[in-house]
Amino acid sequence: MIVAFYLLALIAVLGAGLAITLRNVVHAVFSVLLFFSALAGLFLLLLAEFIAAVQVLVYIGSVGILMLFAIMLTTNVVGDPNRPVQSRGWVWGGLAVVALLAGVLLPIISRTGGQSPTPLSDFNPSVKQLGLVLMDPYFASLGVIALLLTAGLIGAVVAATGASEADQAKTVPENRPRFPNN
Amino acid sequence: MGLTLHHFLILSAILFSIGLVGALTRRHIIIMLICLEIMLNAANLNLIAFWHFSSNPLLMHGPLFTLFAIAIAATEAALGLALVLAIFRHYKTIDLESIRDLKE
Repeated sequence: MIVAFYLLALIAVLGAGLAITLRNVVHAVFSVLLFFSALAGLFLLLLAEFIAAVQVLVYIGSVGILMLFAIMLTTNVVGDPNRPVQSRGWVWGGLAVVALLAGVLLPIISRTGGQSPTPLSDFNPSVKQLGLVLMDPYFASLGVIALLLTAGLIGAVVAATGASEADQAKTVPENRPRFPNN
Repeated sequence: MGLTLHHFLILSAILFSIGLVGALTRRHIIIMLICLEIMLNAANLNLIAFWHFSSNPLLMHGPLFTLFAIAIAATEAALGLALVLAIFRHYKTIDLESIRDLKE
């Protein structure tokens, strides 16, 4: 069990670290997919099997493909090789995050109670229990999430297509032809 | 010595820090969105770990929170990438340091 944890943790840290250091954006997306799958394994290790399945379906399945499509639709994947990958003043950002990790997060974690009252695989949670609580006390939240997903879908379509065409139609003057290329 | 809550909390803090470093220091906008996803996933790992080591796991609080967080993260990814496409169509670049003006 602990070997599996360390293996998955290594894969996750490796995937996330590669994703923020690689120059090629497509390679970064594939390494972040590695990170997502390692996290799905960690969820399985914590006996949250439904969340692991959702992680695979939603993140590896759709978010990764969405990112690849966005890369294909925008620009060259490597960028200008003469410019650095990092933005200006990136040293300060990195130092601030290291200070946050070492000064705030790890001391707080070390103060929490470490020993678990429930040993691994002592209980048997299931998808059935999750479905039951989702139907009885949390039904309103489920409806709100459905509404949010619908609004997000419509908003994404409008932001990706509709708004820019309306913008173009507004900025083109009346006396010039609408489509100069035709 | 088996797995404790500390293992997962420390791993989650490290992953969150990696995501934060990336979001603060990279200049490519899609990499920045990827780093946001990394940070959200680290928070999800925290939620699931706290649920797993809690005294009453049958209440299913951790998976519920994580499920809703994943739904919101998926919406955020779709909207963010649609905005990336709109920005690219308007500015013809997605370099974050070149997008400086609010009006063309």
